[in-house]
Order: sequence, then C-alpha cells, then structure tokens
Amino acid sequence: MSEAVPPSPGSPASVRLTAPFRLRDGEAMAARIVVAAGLSLLSAALLVALSGHSPLAAFGAMALGSVGSPHQIGVGLNRATPYLLAGSGVAICFRAGVINIGAEGQIALGGTGAAAVALAWPSGASALSALAALIGAAAFGALWAGLATAIHLGRWVHEVLATLLLNFVALLLVQQALAGPLGQFGAGFLQSPQLPAESWLWKAPEFNAHVGFLIALAAAAALSVVLWRTPFGFAVRVAGQSRPAAAYAGFSMPAMTWGVMLLAGALAGLAGGVEVLGVHHRLIEGFSLGFGFKAVTVALLGALEPLAVVPASLFVGLLEAGSLSMQRQIGVPSAVVVIEGVTMLFVLAATARRT
Amino acid sequence: MIDFLAAAVRIATPLLLAALGGILSERAGVFAVGLEGMMLMGAFTAVVGAWASDSSFIGVVLALVGGAAIGLVVGVVAVRYRADNMVTGLTANIMAIGLTSYLLRVLAGGGKPIAIHLSPLAPWPVPGLADLPVVGPLLFPPLTYLAALGCVALDLFLRHTQAGLTLRATGENPEAAFASGAAPLRVRMLAVIACGAIAGLGGAVLSLQQIGTFTDGMTGGRGYLALASLIVARWSPLAAALACLAFGAAEAFELRLQTFGVPVSSYVVQMAPYLIALAVLAGLGRSSKMPASIGRPLPWDR
Repeated sequence: MSEAVPPSPGSPASVRLTAPFRLRDGEAMAARIVVAAGLSLLSAALLVALSGHSPLAAFGAMALGSVGSPHQIGVGLNRATPYLLAGSGVAICFRAGVINIGAEGQIALGGTGAAAVALAWPSGASALSALAALIGAAAFGALWAGLATAIHLGRWVHEVLATLLLNFVALLLVQQALAGPLGQFGAGFLQSPQLPAESWLWKAPEFNAHVGFLIALAAAAALSVVLWRTPFGFAVRVAGQSRPAAAYAGFSMPAMTWGVMLLAGALAGLAGGVEVLGVHHRLIEGFSLGFGFKAVTVALLGALEPLAVVPASLFVGLLEAGSLSMQRQIGVPSAVVVIEGVTMLFVLAATARRT
Repeated sequence: MIDFLAAAVRIATPLLLAALGGILSERAGVFAVGLEGMMLMGAFTAVVGAWASDSSFIGVVLALVGGAAIGLVVGVVAVRYRADNMVTGLTANIMAIGLTSYLLRVLAGGGKPIAIHLSPLAPWPVPGLADLPVVGPLLFPPLTYLAALGCVALDLFLRHTQAGLTLRATGENPEAAFASGAAPLRVRMLAVIACGAIAGLGGAVLSLQQIGTFTDGMTGGRGYLALASLIVARWSPLAAALACLAFGAAEAFELRLQTFGVPVSSYVVQMAPYLIALAVLAGLGRSSKMPASIGRPLPWDR
C-alpha cells in the first residue's frame, strides 16, 4: 500500500487493532531520524542556554565525556549494557504486539536476585558464583514478567496496566528486601553489604568496561536469530503485523505472549544482574531508576530489531556518559533526563508508522 | 471520623481531577498514560506562577497552561504523528520530571533548587453548606469544590451535548465520526490538551492547595493511580469520583495504621494502592470495556 492511497473507512487495514511497528521506506525514515536528532540537539542547546552557559562549551564537554578517553568509553559501554539487554527483550515483545513496559520492575528485581544469590552462594563453589548470580537475576526477572502475563491473560487486564502497576510493587519489594534480609545494618541508607569479589564481573583493565556488554551482544544476536530463523519468531512477526492473520494461521496468542514476556523478563532481570555484579558490586536502592523506560526508548530507536538495538543502546549509553560530564560542567542536574526525554519524543514522532 | 473523611477527600481530589482529564482523553481515543507528567507540570507552573505573581489565581491559571503544554506535546507526537500512545505518554512523563527539576534549579540560577514557600490555600466556607450539622466542619479549599463541580459537568457534557457525542464517537469509531462531519484529528488534539489542563489543575491541588511548595517528582505515581481509577470507573466521571474516594480512603487508612504504630512495614503499606488497583482491574476482567478505537492511530488523512 503506497502512502498516496489511505485505507478506506471500514476496510480491514483501517480497523486493525494492533499497531505493528515497521519500517515503511528506509530512506525516508533515515532522513526523519536525522531531522529528529538535529531538533534534539537544538533543544539541548536551548536548554543549556537557558541556564546561562555556552551551548558550544557544553557540547564540547559532552563529546569529551562520551568518547574522550578509554575510561569514558568504558563508562558509556557500561551504561549501554542494561539498555541493550532489556531493550532487545522489549523489542521482541513489541514485535509481537505485546506492549510490555514492565522492564523497570523486572530489572530492579533482577538486581535483587543477583545480590541474593551472590550473598548466599557457598564459598566452596565460588568459581560458579557469578554464573549462579546471573541465572538468579534472569529467574527473578522472568518470574515478575510471568506474574504480569498471568494477570494479563488470566483476567484480561491490559498488559500496559498490569506491567506498569507491577513496576511500582517491584520497586517497593526491593526496598523491603533492603530494609530487611538483604540490607546492610547501619549503612544509613538502603543498600546491601558488598558482594563477595568472586561474583563480580570481569573488568577490562584501563578500560573500566565489564564483560556484561559482551553478554548483551550475544543475547541480542541470539534474539535476532530467534526472531528471523525460528518458527516462534515467524509467529511473533505475523502476530505483530496482524492478529487475525496469526489466528488464521493457527498460532496460539497466549502461548506466544508467554514466550515473549518470559524472554523479555529474563533479559531485563539479566540487565539488573550485570549492573549489580559489574558496576556497583552491591544492591543499592534505586540503582536502576529509569532503566526500564530507557529500554523502551532504545528498542524503538533500534526499530524493534535486536541487532539494531546494539547501535541504539550505544548511542544512548555514550550520550548519557557525555551528558553526565556536561551536567557536571554546567552544574545543573537533571539536564540529562530532559535531553533524553526530548530526544525520545522527536524519535517517536519520526519513526511512527505512516500508512 | 470527620478527620478520616477529610483526609480521604484531600487525597482523592488531585486523583479525581487527573482522572476527569483522563476520561476526556480516553473517551476521545487516546490513552492517558501522560497524566503523571501533566500533573507534575501543572504542580510546577502553579507554584512558580503563584510565587512570581503573588497571586494564587494566576498560579491556578498557569497550572492549566502547564498541564495543557504537556497535553499538546502528547497530542502532536501521538495524535498528529501517530506514535504509540502508551510510549509517548510515558516519555512525556519522564521529560516532565526532568524539565520541572531542571527549571526549578535554573530559576535559582545555580545548582540548588529554588526555595519557594507559599501558604496553602485556605478552606472556603461555602454559605449554606458550612451550617449543615454533620458535614458542616468538612470545609475544603476552593479547588476541591471545583473538582466536584467538574465531575458533574463532565458527566453532563459527555452524555447530553452534541460535542460530547462527537467526542465519544471519535473514541469509538473515528471513521463514522468523520463521515458524519466531525474532524477526528482536531477532536483528539483538543481532548488531549484539555486533559492536560485538567490534570494540571490536579497537580496544582497538590502543590498549591495542599503543600505550598514544589519538590522534585512530587506527584509520585498519582497520575498512574488516576489512570487506574478511571479504568476501574469504566470511563464514567461519577464512578471515577467514587473510585478516587475509595483510593483516598485506603491511603488515609494506611496513614492511620502507620501513626498508630501497627507493626507493618511502610514499604508493604505503600504497595497497597497498586495492589488494590490490580485486584480491582483483575476483578472486572473482561467487563471493563475500553472505548473501541482507543490507542488506534487515525487514518492518515483525517
């Protein structure tokens, strides 16, 4: 269907209930993304000017902060890692037309699972403790996604509401765990004791990046294979394009929803796990604040294609490392949040489907 | 008991205003996930406006404008450019959290947030009501009465006016609305902007009427609770008032529990509103029927 011929009222195309995200016309899309990126930079400049600083100096600080040194690149890679893991999971959910915005809670619980396993792991088998902690993280994330799926499918509660409301519950559960069994007594704020060093993820010397990014790359590649080379992936793509077509083909929507949600939950949990085991080496309250929502940004920016989520997450990770430097330079916090929000709104407007 | 009721109404008021805005938006066919950001922006502009002009009236007007601005952003991205409603709303919320916090610090000219302290709006003794025997001592500030009035007005608007019918038609079947001469794109844009303004007023209740200052992220998830309550109320303004009062009563009860030192963890207690919302949604199950075309982008030429 070309852009010139809009669907007539009442035709099957216009009463479609799902909104598949797909690229219509690659070049036009690329052009729109470039325009969106330009407008985002312009808004960021305006924002900086508002605070009385020079936008050029600020952008300079941003560039240095993102790719200025191996250390800073490592910071950007570490920030990109949870977004890539959780974002590729979100991408496969959205592909199936399942709007899962529960990554926020799944990541927080994943981090909790990693910390709980790492703290309880017997010291006799310490060689396996990092692996066990990562498995624990994925299990906690999948469990929480499974709960949302059970409520969604069992009681017909819209998946957005089920996942969104469970996010709040999850964050409070993490606080409860830190106030109770997992907490460090007398720390002054909510955090766990430091995890045993055997459970820490390996870090590249000089570079400050932990091995989590490689895990995330492997996960994204595997997910891309699942999406494009397996019957399950085919069913996911058909369901995202048209629910009636998927039903006609005999694909079971509940089974597919369970599949994508558990996959996404496990990946989001893993994202929380690598953040705890690779960066903080302990569970801290609010360590993943906003990660889940940024995972959605990254998934959309990557056009819901797991392999394309890689550059998207790198972009956001490096942008963040840079904006943090810039924020220190101009001395006004929260600039990062605004720049990210505005950028995402422009990208959303640019990438929405056109027909 | 009177104290308890007053607390319930106090907590319900901002929720109700946001829910009323959300009903307008969702009945027109646009998911109101952006309520949180609209409330937050309204809370911010209300306090800054009242502080700069020394007039709470100007503050209230600016709350409408601030909320409507977020509504406009959501409208342009989700209605005009047809991006996913849910994701757009969430993003607008994140942007509002950052923007209010950033502007608060920029206003002060440095890294620290500006300190604003206003006296909260005083209760209004409505003539006649104040003399009633039992409920007489239940006096509320002006915006609470406005929320109650708005609830009735929205119900009348939706059910008994031509414009209300057009709005509902746009949410149920935009093609039919278009065929009968309406402009669905314009209706949805206006509905989302109005939603923002009303939710902004809800934010002003929090900041201007109840606390007298603005703190970062002060809405703390109330926009999402308002969203849950309007769904529980099945998109009816009068039922939304009941749902919000129920949430208000539940939260007032929690506060009581905490002050009486009942040995329940405060984190578990804070989960209650979300768990209640989930339980009610699950209880309604399939019977909670959404406006038929909600979240579906308009055909490109409408």
